[in-house]
Amino acid sequence: MEELRETYITPVVPLDFTYNYRVGQYMERFLNSLKDKKLMGVKCPECGKVFVPPRMFCGSCNQKLDEWVEVAQTGMLANFTVGHVVLEKGARLAKAESPYVLGLIKLDDVDSLLLARVEKVAPADLKKGMRMKAVWKEELAGDYSDLDHFEPA
Amino acid sequence: MENKVAIVGVNLDSALDIEKSRERLIFDLVRGLMDDLGIEPTDVDTTIFATNDFLVGRTISNVFEDSPAGVYMRDESKVEMDATNAVMYGTMRILSGNYQTALIVSQGLCGHQVSPYLHISYSLNPIYDRQLGLLNELSAAAFQARDFLTKYGFGDDLMHAIAANSLANAALNPRQARQLPDISPQQVSESPYYYEPLRELHCYPPTDGGCAILLASAERAKELTDKPVWILGLGSSMDTYYIVERDLTVAPSATKAAKRAYEMAGISDPAREICFAEIAALFAHQEPILAEALGLMEASDAAEKYQSGETAIDGKLPINPSGGALGGHPIPATGGFRVAEATLQLRGEAGKNQVKDPKRAVVLGQDGICAQQNSVLVLGI
Ligand SMILES: [Zn+2]
Repeated sequence: MEELRETYITPVVPLDFTYNYRVGQYMERFLNSLKDKKLMGVKCPECGKVFVPPRMFCGSCNQKLDEWVEVAQTGMLANFTVGHVVLEKGARLAKAESPYVLGLIKLDDVDSLLLARVEKVAPADLKKGMRMKAVWKEELAGDYSDLDHFEPA
Repeated sequence: MENKVAIVGVNLDSALDIEKSRERLIFDLVRGLMDDLGIEPTDVDTTIFATNDFLVGRTISNVFEDSPAGVYMRDESKVEMDATNAVMYGTMRILSGNYQTALIVSQGLCGHQVSPYLHISYSLNPIYDRQLGLLNELSAAAFQARDFLTKYGFGDDLMHAIAANSLANAALNPRQARQLPDISPQQVSESPYYYEPLRELHCYPPTDGGCAILLASAERAKELTDKPVWILGLGSSMDTYYIVERDLTVAPSATKAAKRAYEMAGISDPAREICFAEIAALFAHQEPILAEALGLMEASDAAEKYQSGETAIDGKLPINPSGGALGGHPIPATGGFRVAEATLQLRGEAGKNQVKDPKRAVVLGQDGICAQQNSVLVLGI
């Protein structure tokens, strides 16, 4: 039997949705401090937890977070995955050019985990609990890409 | 909640690439359901849709669905969540006394039309995670899988066993989209990696499909069917948002949702009183995490449970005898599929997937990154 296929079209949307989200005072301060190779977090007055990136309220305590702290740029690898795929525009699944490592970094004295690329370590050598350090881009722009990756310390 | 609201009819259809439009799919599902029950659209007092705007590609995604569902200009509402929540909404409407019947309609065409990973990407924090571009549904699930395996010292072979259990059941079930006859843990282990340790066959497949379910009050149920399946309890709960602040090896929101549902159903020892579970585990490792939250097993015993066959169709406590979400995930209809499959089981109409004489079932639907939101229903005859 001949295989039946529906014909698909990709509808043309005659609009260009460009949004200018205000990042807010907290993320603005976080991004600006990246330019000085600093990682800034906020500390909860009630539970004492430190969050990086910063946010205005503690989710568990509903307390306003006013105390800014500069946090260490070292920590340990709390979790990792080796990506063999990427999600392209439209969240389309595609094969990655080559496998790459993502890590959840538990910075020293920080309670939330920071998601980052991990480099200079072979996938087979990855271990939870490995010591890690932040590596910065050479030219800093005060945006998300300034903190380039983490690597073994 | 004893015998107040019943599921009186279900209809479902799915495929990896369904050859019909979403409107035709909805028409076929609802018309089929009504023909089964011998009713007309005027017998439907209220309709709850479960659809997702991102996946349909327009705002108010149910806006053109009332016509094919036969309920144009009638009482209607919608949830932008998993279909289990639409079932709960319909149940509550009947409990209010204002409605005798509630039609639940849900569909998602994520097989080829749109990426099934899109809506989770859009649920990410727009000013951080979405900008970094590292987090997505799959990478998050991989972190969850690694945390789970490490916590109990399990190897990847547990993931292969869990997936093979579901996929083998799905291959027996003509209502499932992913059909892999003779699937073995070995074959699962040979499927390509997405994000380690997560492989393709540990994950749900992009799926087209939908379901229609009719709920009725006790009085109306007697007129419509001689095999009512009662909704005995329900509960839902949502976990905190950031995965970097969650312990991904547990599902406290599922635990809370289950506690409410079991209390309502008068169930104190679910592992003994529940005959089988239909759990929307989107990734293999989520099944034991959610089964633990439902009080059905200790996650630390998962290796033994899955390898001994306890979770199989003929096992002591079958989990996803239908094949579960690894057999198909037509977002957001997936929880509705679990409800419908559990209904067929309790009516003794599950064919090759039939569990022996089940009396009570627990159903879980989820939404959000790493099962952030969970809804639980207890069904019984
Ligand atoms: Zn706090």
